[in-house]
Amino acid sequence: MNSQNVISTTDLNKSFGTLKVVRDVNFNIKKGEFVSIVGKSGSGKTTLLSLLSGLERPSSGRVTLNGREITESSENELALIRREMVGFIFQSFHLIPTLSAWENVALPLFPVKMTTEQRRERAMELLRQMEMENRSDHLPATLSGGEKQRVAIARALVNSPKVVFADEPTGNLDSATSEAIMDILKHLHVDNGLSLVMVTHDLDLAGSSDRIVRMQDGEVVL
Amino acid sequence: MDIRYMAKELWYRKRRTLTATIGLAVGMAILITMNALSSAYSEAARIPLKEIGADITVQRAGNVPENLAGPVFACSAVTIRKNEVDQIRSLPGVQGFAQALLVWVFDTDRFTIVLGLDPSNPVGPGVLRSQLTDGRFLQKGKNHALVEASYAKTHNIQTGDKVTVAGKTYPVAGIVDASRATKIAVAHIYLPIEEARKMAVASKQVQIVSPFGPEDANILFIKAAPGQIEPLTHSIKNIVGEKASVATPATFLKHLGSLFALSDKFSLITSLIAVVVTLLIVLKTMASNITERTGEIGVLKAMGWSNGNVVSQLAGESIIQCLIGGIFGLIIAIFAASILGFMQVNIPIPWEMSPTPHFLPGGGDPVFKVLRLPIHISWKLAVFAILLSTLIGAVTGGFLSRHIARIKPSEVLRYE
Repeated sequence: MNSQNVISTTDLNKSFGTLKVVRDVNFNIKKGEFVSIVGKSGSGKTTLLSLLSGLERPSSGRVTLNGREITESSENELALIRREMVGFIFQSFHLIPTLSAWENVALPLFPVKMTTEQRRERAMELLRQMEMENRSDHLPATLSGGEKQRVAIARALVNSPKVVFADEPTGNLDSATSEAIMDILKHLHVDNGLSLVMVTHDLDLAGSSDRIVRMQDGEVVL
Repeated sequence: MDIRYMAKELWYRKRRTLTATIGLAVGMAILITMNALSSAYSEAARIPLKEIGADITVQRAGNVPENLAGPVFACSAVTIRKNEVDQIRSLPGVQGFAQALLVWVFDTDRFTIVLGLDPSNPVGPGVLRSQLTDGRFLQKGKNHALVEASYAKTHNIQTGDKVTVAGKTYPVAGIVDASRATKIAVAHIYLPIEEARKMAVASKQVQIVSPFGPEDANILFIKAAPGQIEPLTHSIKNIVGEKASVATPATFLKHLGSLFALSDKFSLITSLIAVVVTLLIVLKTMASNITERTGEIGVLKAMGWSNGNVVSQLAGESIIQCLIGGIFGLIIAIFAASILGFMQVNIPIPWEMSPTPHFLPGGGDPVFKVLRLPIHISWKLAVFAILLSTLIGAVTGGFLSRHIARIKPSEVLRYE
């Protein structure tokens, strides 16, 4: 694998029973690259994201993440890889409803040996970047959709990941908020050199990325 | 385990937390109270013997006196031979031992119950020393008598007076209030055992029915080593024979009858039901909690939480929840026990231990030891209940969270 690549796949396949959801996917994502995976519903783009991020194991083929082959890793090793290398942004934000904004941001740091104060400081630093500092003690229920997604972005960045995976990050937001969230992601990519893999069905949003990977019936098409 | 996350989960999901906590608290309160109640009855049954410093009393049933004249033995307490006394005294597990002699004296002008005792022995009727209301207690080698307070009042006897029993006169050394003591071995007049023996040996009526030697006795008081009451009872019955009347706390429990049997059996069944129901409530609450949070657990795993991290978090929540429930249960049980402590228990004294002849007026009336239910929650029971609560939390939380922790982190994307 080229050391310039943050993700590399070789003959990646995933089947659920007899249904082949991802077929022979071979592609690389460079460090600092912003890649959008687009395709119709059921095309296999979310499954591909799961495979690339170590959430799911392939039926065959290999995935290399930041130089490390993850296909054969154990459950605990995969948990460690996700903790150290990967950040996630979900369409439905998936914030823990009983925790405040800063506690949600700090949640990935729980398995890391840090004091509560260190966790809070790190979470606050990211909430500041997201201009959410004044909402740090609020519960998710009291935040707007855009605010929730900004908290979720801060959470994705809290462990300084090598790559962030975003699954339809603006899917639950109105267009103005979507634009604001995309601006944040672009800013993180451009200014901080963050590697970003975004799954979307919105070609306009995909247009902001460096490269678009199209999925159709489980295959990457050009 | 993230304590902040755990505390917030329990606080913000109040309904679920309260359901599990209250369910467990009620279950533990029932378990603790029923066990304390059962122990209280057992303790109450121990009191009549405990008050006389013994765990076992031994008598032997015999024939009724042929003629009620002079000193006679009650048919429930005839001679126990010296060799039998010695054998019993040397049995393993005997920690304290006293012998006494109960004699009914039918003088021409009055009936007197006489108890001969060893004044220097803290076991048995020697404990009456603490019930002395006037004068001094009996002394070894001195042929003085003690008079029971109500008998003294009826017959206008005071310390320093003289009483005549079976033709022999004794100076009254003191007055004892036996009504405040146990109902066992209550007499009108207490004499040193040697004097009572002389009286029995010289009695034709005694010798006809139950030959009596100068070192024999007719009531034995035994203090048993812990856990030795039952084996000692068995051995004593072997020595004294089938007419032996061996009273232990179990005898009083038997006389407490259905109330104790009910509380004893009921406490076991209720405790078991309480634990099972509690376990089911906690299991049900925890299961719905975990099902509700499947997506959340997927998120945690996606963020790098290991299965162990998830299990410790969820099991920790369950343990804390159950621990709080257990503590509340203990508080409820302490409150319930303090109310039950006002309950009065009448412990029937077996007729054979009642010193009053049944053919005399009032002699056949049932005799009771009346006391307040000695209910208390022992620290062992409290610790057991708290540990059991914690264990229920650990088992249910551990079992369910281990199951849910195995979900694939990619499940989270299905909740989109």
